Amino acid sequence: MNSGDSSQLMVNVEHLTVSFAEKQVVCDVSFEVKAGEIIGLFGISGAGKTTIVRVLTCQIDKKNWEGNIRITNLDPAKEKEHAKILSNIGYVPQLEELNLYFELTPMANIETFASTYGLKSKSAKKIAQELFAILDIPKDTWKKPLKKMSGGEKKRVSVAIGLIHQPKVLFLDEPTTGVDAAKRYDVLSYLKKLNRQLGTTMFLITHDMEATLICDKSAILRNGKLLEFDTNDRLISKLPSNGLIVRLTIKDLNEEKLTIIRRFVPIKKILRVGNEIIEIFMENFEENLQKLIQYIIENDLEITSMSRDTASFRRFFQIRIQDEEEKEKKLEESEKIKEDKE
Amino acid sequence: MSNKINYSNSSKIHESIFSRLKRRIFRVLRQIKKEFRLLRTDPLNLLIALVVPPLIIWLFGTMSTSASKVVPIKVSIVSYDSNSYINQDNYTIITTWDNYSKMYLEAVEKSKYIDLKEFYDASKDIYAMETARDKLRDGKIECIIVIPVEFSEFLTTGLPGIIECVPDTSNFVYIQDRLNAVEDSIDIFVEDNNLDPEYVSMEYQEFSIPSNYNFRFNYNMTMLFSFMVFGISTVLSILVVVQEKPIPRLLLTPAKRYEILTSKFLTYTIVLALQIFLILTSALLNGLYLRNGLLSAIDLYVALFMLGFVGLSMGIFISTVSKTKTEANQLFFAAFIVILLLSGIFVPLGSMPEYLQIIAYILPLSHGEPIIRGILSKGKSVVGFDFFSLLAVSVVCIFLSFVIIKRKRYEV
Repeated sequence: MNSGDSSQLMVNVEHLTVSFAEKQVVCDVSFEVKAGEIIGLFGISGAGKTTIVRVLTCQIDKKNWEGNIRITNLDPAKEKEHAKILSNIGYVPQLEELNLYFELTPMANIETFASTYGLKSKSAKKIAQELFAILDIPKDTWKKPLKKMSGGEKKRVSVAIGLIHQPKVLFLDEPTTGVDAAKRYDVLSYLKKLNRQLGTTMFLITHDMEATLICDKSAILRNGKLLEFDTNDRLISKLPSNGLIVRLTIKDLNEEKLTIIRRFVPIKKILRVGNEIIEIFMENFEENLQKLIQYIIENDLEITSMSRDTASFRRFFQIRIQDEEEKEKKLEESEKIKEDKE
Repeated sequence: MSNKINYSNSSKIHESIFSRLKRRIFRVLRQIKKEFRLLRTDPLNLLIALVVPPLIIWLFGTMSTSASKVVPIKVSIVSYDSNSYINQDNYTIITTWDNYSKMYLEAVEKSKYIDLKEFYDASKDIYAMETARDKLRDGKIECIIVIPVEFSEFLTTGLPGIIECVPDTSNFVYIQDRLNAVEDSIDIFVEDNNLDPEYVSMEYQEFSIPSNYNFRFNYNMTMLFSFMVFGISTVLSILVVVQEKPIPRLLLTPAKRYEILTSKFLTYTIVLALQIFLILTSALLNGLYLRNGLLSAIDLYVALFMLGFVGLSMGIFISTVSKTKTEANQLFFAAFIVILLLSGIFVPLGSMPEYLQIIAYILPLSHGEPIIRGILSKGKSVVGFDFFSLLAVSVVCIFLSFVIIKRKRYEV
């Protein structure tokens, strides 16, 4: 069993910039990933997640990117090293139809892809059986055409294909997309299981914040820039009071009432997360919580429920993106004023 | 996982060219296996490739055999013949000549190829010819035999007798049948009346099909072979690249683009070889005449294989160049129409403008018909200008396919 050497650097990206024609789609991105880590690449569409992965998987010509990159200690800038890189990595696309021959059986699919790595049928089948067992792919479906399998089963076969040659790094593009809500967690737990048992370094490109549950580190990208890259705990601790929040339900909540609450000075951020529900971040949380409640009551606002919690990664993501948007907006406005003055 | 894969270990070792080549061959062979698996999952496609062509040949064979059965043509005779003249001195009718038109009529009735519908004596009915022409226009008869006025006189005096024949030429396929039927009646007429054989039209038939073979089947197969083999192999291959969605994913493995394309060429070449064997077997079982026997059969196999290979190369080229299945289908349709129009079947190549002739000679079907006719009827060898032209077209298509797939943008 390959447990993975945690001290070994699997991916090292330094100052990666990707441009197509004159459009910069990734801008000065740097990060490093150690063996056995699961990395989540989060960001809204157009953030540059897929582009970064395409560079790492040798899909983008060197003339379109700059920077120093090492993946499994190989350089994707050198075309000669592409074959070795491709044999060290696995890829699970978002859409199964791009990864699987639906007319063939899972085993025939496995054989086809395994052969590209020089694996003979017998060894491929043996590895596949082990992977299928970990991924709970029912034995009676192994010899049936894939088109007869459910969406979740297809996704798992797709993951098995990505791992058939025991890659050092596995890239998964939206691994939970197209899987129904009830099964999403299953897919994530299978990935964690594979990561633990095989020691495979994994990259999850996703919009699904739930995926962060299995990620050791998360990267947040926006407009080609890497905003954050750290463990979830450390990211959340960047929030005021280490991410402690008070969740309040205010009767007949409206903009006027929100403005009143905002006047409470220690408040750093208010997020309206429901019709009458707000989440509040503030300085010196423990000290100010009591004062906040008192302030609200004094202002004749009725609290119907209250709880304290730690912010989720979803909230961190939301706040971080909002902050960035505000920053950009301010920058744009100041530039406009500058231009007008000129 | 207990089974440790050799690949990561072997990547550290310096690989010899031989071991790299061995692995590439292994990958191509596995891709071929995949292609056959995919073909097997699409029985209709296999049916079109392997069963339909021999069935078409069988159908043609059956059609041609029944077509060679005697179906008498419907004829009207209009006779202007006169075997008498009016004596100017006393205005009496003098019969001088033998009545050869009556004898010819008897010969017509004897011929199994003619079904005589009407006989018109134009000396009594001045509208005889017009009536016969109306019937020809309406399709009630297929041919008018006209006996000219001096017919009996000429024959009696030893001059050549002339019979005019007006066949319905609206469908060129039947013209020869109609002329042959009239010729049969003349043969009987000449024989029955002990006329000099010089009256019979003589022709020296070079490269004709022996009488125990079906000339119609052979003649039709010449054209059918070209269209069918080229068409079916092209249709079979136009989607092989464009419809395979996991190709970009395969390219994220050590598999190379040229390996994927090579495997497709090899797979469909094997299918083509089998397809041609079945087509040829079906044609021979249906009584195809080959001038040089086994040698011609081998030549014909090679010629058909070459034609199919051009179709295959063009099909894969179309599939490589197209972005969607619809685009591939439309491109094939447009290309096939042009190839068909410039094949020399509708308009002889020599009568086309020069620039069109150049284009026609580049296209494959203009070489298909001559190469097959040469082998079937003249016993020519497959090796020649047409063969090398077909080979050149294939090589160009294959080369372009590899260039395009190398440059094609594939992203997962």
